[in-house]
Amino acid sequence: MSTITAEDRAAMTESVRRLLANQNTEADVRRTMETPQGYDDALWAKLVELGVTGLTIPTDYDGLGGGPVELERIMEEAGAALLSAPLFSGAMAAALIEASGDTAAMQRLLPGIAGGRTATVAFTGDAGTWTEDGVGVSAHAHGNHWALDGVASYVQHGANADLIIVVAKTHDGFALFEVSQGAEGLTAEVLPTFDHTQRLAKLSFAHVDATKLGTAGWEAVERMRDVALVGLAGEQAGGARRVLEFTTQYAKQRIQFGRAIGSFQAIKHMAADLLMESESAISAARAAAAALAENAADKDAAVALAAFACADAFSKVTADAVQMHGGIAFTWAHPAHLYLRRARADAQLFGAASMYRERYLKALGA
Amino acid sequence: MTLIPPPKAMSDDELRSEVRAWLKDNWKGLPVSQDQWTSSPERRAWMEKVVDARWAVNRWPVEWFGRGLSDPQAKIVEEEFRAARALGAGLDKSQLYAITALAFGTDVMKNHVLKGILTGNVNMCLLYSEPGAGSDLAGVRTRAVRDGDDFVVNGQKVWTSGAMTADYGMLIARTDWDVPKHNGISFFFLPMKQKGVEVRPLRQVTDESHFNEVFFTDARVPAEFLLGGLNNGWRVLQTALAYERSVMGDGARGPRRGDDKASTDMIALAREAGKLNDPLVRQDLAKVLSYRKLNALNNARAKADLATGTSSPIMSLGKLAMSRILHEEARLRTTLLGAGSMLEGDAHPRADDANFLALNAYFTSIGGGTDQIQRNIIGERVLGLPKEPEVDRTIPFKDVRAG
Repeated sequence: MSTITAEDRAAMTESVRRLLANQNTEADVRRTMETPQGYDDALWAKLVELGVTGLTIPTDYDGLGGGPVELERIMEEAGAALLSAPLFSGAMAAALIEASGDTAAMQRLLPGIAGGRTATVAFTGDAGTWTEDGVGVSAHAHGNHWALDGVASYVQHGANADLIIVVAKTHDGFALFEVSQGAEGLTAEVLPTFDHTQRLAKLSFAHVDATKLGTAGWEAVERMRDVALVGLAGEQAGGARRVLEFTTQYAKQRIQFGRAIGSFQAIKHMAADLLMESESAISAARAAAAALAENAADKDAAVALAAFACADAFSKVTADAVQMHGGIAFTWAHPAHLYLRRARADAQLFGAASMYRERYLKALGA
Repeated sequence: MTLIPPPKAMSDDELRSEVRAWLKDNWKGLPVSQDQWTSSPERRAWMEKVVDARWAVNRWPVEWFGRGLSDPQAKIVEEEFRAARALGAGLDKSQLYAITALAFGTDVMKNHVLKGILTGNVNMCLLYSEPGAGSDLAGVRTRAVRDGDDFVVNGQKVWTSGAMTADYGMLIARTDWDVPKHNGISFFFLPMKQKGVEVRPLRQVTDESHFNEVFFTDARVPAEFLLGGLNNGWRVLQTALAYERSVMGDGARGPRRGDDKASTDMIALAREAGKLNDPLVRQDLAKVLSYRKLNALNNARAKADLATGTSSPIMSLGKLAMSRILHEEARLRTTLLGAGSMLEGDAHPRADDANFLALNAYFTSIGGGTDQIQRNIIGERVLGLPKEPEVDRTIPFKDVRAG
């Protein structure tokens, strides 16, 4: 449950927006995306300083005590600015540690994440389905010790994150495990990503020593996934809004046939339709965050709706934005393709829109 | 019954107890009305009381049935009416015919029609669109020519709801052909019950007749019933248009045949059609259902924004959203019925619903400004994109191409 007031939330959103406007400019994004690490240490330090790395971590564990509503808002800003940082993966790891119910683990791990220790979650295998049958790691107990074997893929910042929370199959259902980067038997292979601002890794486990977190199973993964979907929806909605802003701006300035192209209905009508898409995405993402925060009866439907509506909206807005710009957006130098790449990647992360449309119907009782 | 004398100024508490006491003495509820276009005798009698007691238009001046109340005090009256579930307060915010008459009418006209409009004894209709002036409303060609104390009107209007029962129509007509199109239009309250006005019901694609065509052959309107002055009609219209748009927002109708769950619930309809397990139908269904939900979420957010004093760009999206909802739902209904959608009549209510809704969706996507005009408005007023150059904006209307 969030302990942050609406005023504090607005102020925090504003300071993140300002920070990203100054230190995560397009030039910064392009520079950072060419580095192996994929994020900027100086910017990361500032995010830690603002407390954003502990945004959703309870105050008892040195966090800000926010919840899904705060995460969604900050992710809107992250999406608008095309932020690349292990902020989101850290929030997911924190959510999973909390969902494990293991208070000793929370004590041990959450203050670190709040303080800037990078973290991520490994919960799907090579098939990338993000479902129970897609888990590719198994855990075996040897006395008091656990060892992990198998493969986890599409792990965000998986080759860099210091702390990895791994979802693995045991003889007795699913369980959560803590593994540190560099553990013996752990190999991290960086995956080449279409979205150059994204960092994904494939982790191979060969008898890796791991600490089991509590007794929670797949239900904890689902709770974490809901938080992740709300965060991702925020990123998509915020990204869509920003892309429409600069596309509209361009349509006012670009002159052809002696007039601004935005005066042509061919362009104007596309822009109007995209406004519907981006504003609907904002509404869906925020409603899902609120439903999750309040543990509302319709939260499953709200989260599923946000998952597919925001993915579809971001994809549509970024794709049409390239078309509306014309040739200039077909160049590498123009930022439109960076957003298009992000939208295409985001639309697959944690499962495709079709999966969430199906889940939406089920949540509605169909 | 007669209008009470202007009351003295009251404190908030005095006002509240006075309106509360008045409602307690007078409001006994009303029978449900069956008629879409005219109000019932009981309702008219009630409204007569409300107007005479000066509760209908509290913000208006005392000369015109009001109390000259401030907005906060008027809201106290409206709150009390709402609490008692009584009708009739707040017409100074919602009765656009009356608002237009008050704002732009002559005293002679106001004396003649204003009370009747407020009480429902005078019925009104809109005489705007013409066969040659739909999206381009400023292109009206119905002409009004001065003749003594009257104007003489010739021409044709279309898409007029309630023309059969109307006593007056709010008319825009061309009064000067030698100036650009927006500058030669005048706005009248035209008496409908006269020889020169012929009303013909218009048979719609849905086989219903909610609209009429109205033909004017030397119809007469007193010069006193000109609003806002000669050739100033376009400005008057801007106030009055808000009414038509607000009516359109509520214009979406549901199915007219079925009255069970499956007639309104798309999931139930899919189940009944035996297609709820078809994965392609399920994808389609989720998508179509999401349109209505997203629109509801947008509206809720716009409302919340307004409550905090932030104006919201989302308000402008509702009509466009509703067009998509109605067309897409009708398409999916048709898909679910398959071959059955080729049938009609009493024995095929589901087909009737699907086919009616598919056609009636155009009511929303064309009426009150087409989706295309709506996209222009969103593009220009919300996103700030430049207007399309208009070739007819600055030339005399008589030289404008028509067809």
